[in-house]
Amino acid sequence: MNIGLILELAKRDITEKYSGSTLGALWNFIYPLVDIFIFTVIFANLMGSRLPGSSSVYAYGFYLTSGVIAWNAFSNTVSRTATVYLDKKHIITKVKVDLSSFPLYIAISESITFVVTMGVFLFLLLISGYGVKPVILFVPLIYLVQQLFAYSLGFFIGIFVVFIRDLREIVRIVLQFWFWFTPIVYVYDILPEYVKKIMVYNPAFTFIHAYHSIFIYEQIPDLEAILYLFLLSFAILLCAGFTFKKLEKDVRDFI
Amino acid sequence: MIKVSGVSKTFKSYHSPADRLKEKIFRKKYHREITALQNVSFEVKEGKTLGIVGQNGAGKSTLLKILSGVLLPDEGSIKVDGKITGLLELGTGFDHELTGLENIFMNGTFLGMDKDEIERKKDDIINFTELGEFIYDPIKTYSSGMLMRLAFSIAMHAEPKCFLVDEALSVGDAYFQQKCMRKILEFKNDGGSIIFVSHDMNAVKTICDSAILLDHGHIISSGDPKDIIDYYHGIILSKSHMGNTEVIVNEITDDHTGHKNPSASTGEVELLSFKVLNSKNEEILHIESEQVVKVIYQVKALKELSDPHFGLHVRNNLGVSVFETNTYCSSIKTFTLKKEQIAELTWEFLFPLSAGDYSFSVGVANKGYGRDAFEEYLLMAHDIEVLKVIPNSNAIVYSGVFNMKPKIEIQERLGKE
Repeated sequence: MNIGLILELAKRDITEKYSGSTLGALWNFIYPLVDIFIFTVIFANLMGSRLPGSSSVYAYGFYLTSGVIAWNAFSNTVSRTATVYLDKKHIITKVKVDLSSFPLYIAISESITFVVTMGVFLFLLLISGYGVKPVILFVPLIYLVQQLFAYSLGFFIGIFVVFIRDLREIVRIVLQFWFWFTPIVYVYDILPEYVKKIMVYNPAFTFIHAYHSIFIYEQIPDLEAILYLFLLSFAILLCAGFTFKKLEKDVRDFI
Repeated sequence: MIKVSGVSKTFKSYHSPADRLKEKIFRKKYHREITALQNVSFEVKEGKTLGIVGQNGAGKSTLLKILSGVLLPDEGSIKVDGKITGLLELGTGFDHELTGLENIFMNGTFLGMDKDEIERKKDDIINFTELGEFIYDPIKTYSSGMLMRLAFSIAMHAEPKCFLVDEALSVGDAYFQQKCMRKILEFKNDGGSIIFVSHDMNAVKTICDSAILLDHGHIISSGDPKDIIDYYHGIILSKSHMGNTEVIVNEITDDHTGHKNPSASTGEVELLSFKVLNSKNEEILHIESEQVVKVIYQVKALKELSDPHFGLHVRNNLGVSVFETNTYCSSIKTFTLKKEQIAELTWEFLFPLSAGDYSFSVGVANKGYGRDAFEEYLLMAHDIEVLKVIPNSNAIVYSGVFNMKPKIEIQERLGKE
């Protein structure tokens, strides 16, 4: 693994998408800001959406924002890691790179976006008078586990995407469904009993719920659930690593 | 030093990529196997150059991909005591949206240089490319020659232990090719190993210390570049018959020199005799430069030849062609040869070549067309005789290939006051 290379790729990843435009890399951060603006001002203020059990005008906006910021980092990392070998074909078929750590640059670049939007979000929390409690110190931990899960999953799927190109589209569709199956836009309490029962098995619910606990309910997140998510991610990573070892030669032949 | 031992590579050809996975799961065969390399071993010592020759599809590109680490071999291993970089047609992984300078950083990182190292070498890299201000432009605006200069410069400055070169070098203009060649020689003198893959046989002969011939993934011969190339030409000859005629590639060992003389023949003609004579018609093994040399050889037709033509090829001790022509190219009328009929060819020419050993090769072909091509190539006999040329004591002292006998004048001129 070559840290220098991964950092260089991450830097490129952030700058290249909007290269040639005047604002350049700033666009990476303008989009999430627009999201935050829509969620807080339009949803909460104008449409008057309220979070059940809360009197704050902004509560629902913040509920939505905290979930979406985390979900975006997760879903972008999974989907982009899963297709990285096809997307970066022009590099990996030309120069020698370690394919197992190569997609790490995506996780890093998505994390930078996450940190910046999180910063703006915290700023909004402060000026709106909603307040920021010390419990937010749990955010880095939750985020690390979430990204480990995202990377492991993306890497695992990525190996198969090389052979079954349709998986690329399937991953996108599954992520769409996954988004709506996770209480990000709506709240957990409105779900019927039997869905609530299945929800424990939704790994995305584990970390999204943790963010909600921290930002909205100002409680210590369910650390036991986070531990389970960590173990699950680790198992997937081992599985992916094993599969990769078996198939690396074929992956390289097939790209 | 680079050591390749027992490298094999088989590609599996599937109708669709998904078949690959189906096979893994259902354990049923869904593919056709294509052997690209089979048990390939060689070694290139420090400061040495190995040439790899072979026809299209012989496995050269696969070997280069495995050497550069893009593909993994099924079996075997590659040991290098350092980095392998190179200038390959398969490309360098440049990002065409980025500027030349940004690509130096990106590509340099891929080649295992860290930021400080690139920062330090940046100016050297740019200077070598001679791209000047263009280095700040996106490389999508570059010509292929400019790209090659950039790629070569980065690869060389990455301080490899082994450098791979293929036809990509020929993209550059003559000036830059020379510059690259000088750099490669410098690299070699500093103890680097070079692997050179080319169809330019003269280049292989000049640059390489040894060579291997790849055919259908096997090394079919290895050794002195000159012998390998003659062998290779033999295979080409067999190809030119579209496989209609069986071609026998022999390795005849010369009794005098112990040299292997590969010759290729379709069995349709036979070289009966070959003599090198001086102006007094005495058979000779050596001659003073700038004397008349006569070459007489007899060829017997083993089937009727409608339009046979005969060639003669003179090469120096490095195997580099000095002179080559044939009756067709010299517009000499020949006649139809009946079966069992014999033609005797006499060549007489001045031999103003610089001192050294020169070898003669004979070619026979049928039915000339175009400027210098034939429909059927019948015989290619390499290095049948060797003639030693000794300096002519009456001639001027010179170095080079041959005495151009210059007329030199010198006059005194008044400078401007």
